[in-house]
Amino acid sequence: MDLIVSQILTGLSIASILMLIALGLAIIYGVTGVINLAHGEVVMLGAYCAWVLQTQFGLSLLVSLVPIFALLFVFGWIIEAVIIRHLYDRPLDTILATWGIGVMAQQAVRLLAGGELRYVEMPPSLSSSITIFGATESSYRLFVLVVAVGLFALTWYIYRKTSFGLKLRAITQNRSVASSFGVNSARIYRQTFAFGAGVAGLAGALVSPLKSVSPEMGTSYVVDAFMVVVLGGVQSLFGTMASSAILGELSGLLAFFSNDTIAKALVLLLIVVLIRFRPQGLFVTRVRS
Amino acid sequence: MHGKTTTQLALYGAFCLAILLAPLVVDNAFLLNKYARYLVLAIVAISLSLSWGYAGILNLGQAATFGIGSYCMAMALKLKTIPVHTGPDGLPDFMVWNNVTELPWIWQPFHSLPFAVFAGIALPSLFAGLIGWFIFGGRITGVYAAIITLAVMVVLNLVIVDQQAYTGGFNGITDLAQFEVGEVAFDAYSASTYYLVAICLALTLFLALVITKSKVGLVLQAIRDQEERVRFFGYDVARYKTFVFMVSAGIAGIAGMLYTIVMEFASPTFLSVPLSLSIVIWVAVGGRQSLLGAAIGALIVTGIQGALSESEAFLDTWTLIMGGLFVIVVLVMPKGLAGAGEILARRIFSSQRSSSDRAEVGSAVERLS
Repeated sequence: MDLIVSQILTGLSIASILMLIALGLAIIYGVTGVINLAHGEVVMLGAYCAWVLQTQFGLSLLVSLVPIFALLFVFGWIIEAVIIRHLYDRPLDTILATWGIGVMAQQAVRLLAGGELRYVEMPPSLSSSITIFGATESSYRLFVLVVAVGLFALTWYIYRKTSFGLKLRAITQNRSVASSFGVNSARIYRQTFAFGAGVAGLAGALVSPLKSVSPEMGTSYVVDAFMVVVLGGVQSLFGTMASSAILGELSGLLAFFSNDTIAKALVLLLIVVLIRFRPQGLFVTRVRS
Repeated sequence: MHGKTTTQLALYGAFCLAILLAPLVVDNAFLLNKYARYLVLAIVAISLSLSWGYAGILNLGQAATFGIGSYCMAMALKLKTIPVHTGPDGLPDFMVWNNVTELPWIWQPFHSLPFAVFAGIALPSLFAGLIGWFIFGGRITGVYAAIITLAVMVVLNLVIVDQQAYTGGFNGITDLAQFEVGEVAFDAYSASTYYLVAICLALTLFLALVITKSKVGLVLQAIRDQEERVRFFGYDVARYKTFVFMVSAGIAGIAGMLYTIVMEFASPTFLSVPLSLSIVIWVAVGGRQSLLGAAIGALIVTGIQGALSESEAFLDTWTLIMGGLFVIVVLVMPKGLAGAGEILARRIFSSQRSSSDRAEVGSAVERLS
């Protein structure tokens, strides 16, 4: 029993991290169709912001979440305004341009902060662990899980219940018709991109105490995030949540029976097969052409 | 059209002549090795241009087939090393360290160098054939195809790093013998290796050119532009795409084998995400719809990269500069240097051309802005 619960908790912890990282990507890709390969670097920038705020300004991780979101929101805003907005009609080229942005971000961080590993401390109030049904789990990991679900709920609320979300969905369905009804699609795109970057920054900050922070950390995240988004279905927020839960539990389970590397390889292979037979994702019935 | 082909042939010929004559000017062994390395990367760029530029398949995992070729050659050269390097019974040193007692069956045939060369072309092609059949048979295109190729490469990389006892793991396969054909030994730091690479580059360039000019090549370009329409004409689109995917992989395999000869080792970084994306960059900078452009793109980018990373002042900033340059190229020159060159040439000669040609120039320029 303990073993099963702790296995489920491990999987949920992996899933919550996956969802945090994939959420920003899902928003950007689902709405604008931009394949943002710099997403991992935005996550990395969020983690470095957390490190700088903690070591230079003495801010606790929880306090610094707000400025980190704001900083990365502005970063996303600028990137969209300078580069991305020229590429909406060339989706494959967005892969190339955002990769270039990622390379620059990575190198800039390496120059400014050094290439060595950095460590961010957990908030002291959350550094203990909690026992659930006989299995112990770090309370910080549970906190990350709660935040992930909270951010998801917030995004869902914005998407479904606000006028911004309504315009967003209208553009996603048909940009030109929405524009002719007076929706400023350029502005909505920019806000979406900035919001996605902000969420990615939060993900980086939240993950930073669990993993070491380095300029290269984004590379593996971006691949994982893509797998989650593609598996869940591009325009389905619930799909993103469900697929991160599935992938998280599956990685945990496979890693229990073999090792992490083989688990990762098997999960990737499974995703490849799924894309082949259900390119629209597991949880989408209809997609925009 | 005829005039255009002649100009193209002249340009391709001049390029091949230039790279073949380079050793007459350069007689520094270190430089020759460096240039040979750039030329190998130009071959990979040609292979990607063939599938991406001419058939519209963006392969983000091109380094996978490059890596397979590289490992085939490294396995054969490892087995040729003198016993000092290979432990008892001719067992490679890293196997001894990993307590492997006898040569795994998968290594056995690599005692034969001709087999290794054959495998270095056949295995990547077979690998690509399987993936192609899997992807294109299901009519998966665009972004999804790109992501599948990327994921498959990551899997291959993970497996190679994980199976340390059979692949050398993270360190790869090092301490190799020299590649020898008959009496000729190809020292990595010699003109002979440079010529080997340069001749292979010239041959692949013209092979690829022949393919693009053939009927198959025309069908592929039609698929790139209007896949559905070609399918309605009754062509088996999946078969054509798989074919070009396999040829591209075979060429990448050749490049991989040459890379092992030039670098004197094989490593999991040869089939990593950064290298694979770099290949895409070279082709995009050079011009994906021009084989020669892709090759030159690879030479220019890797050349600048090499030069900047050697100079003290740019050691840390070159990546930053490359990233910036690349973003600019994508934004303002979607067809790369080759596309820009073509437009420039047409502008200069536009007075001699018909008005229909001018319309084409107009649309190309429009795409630039």
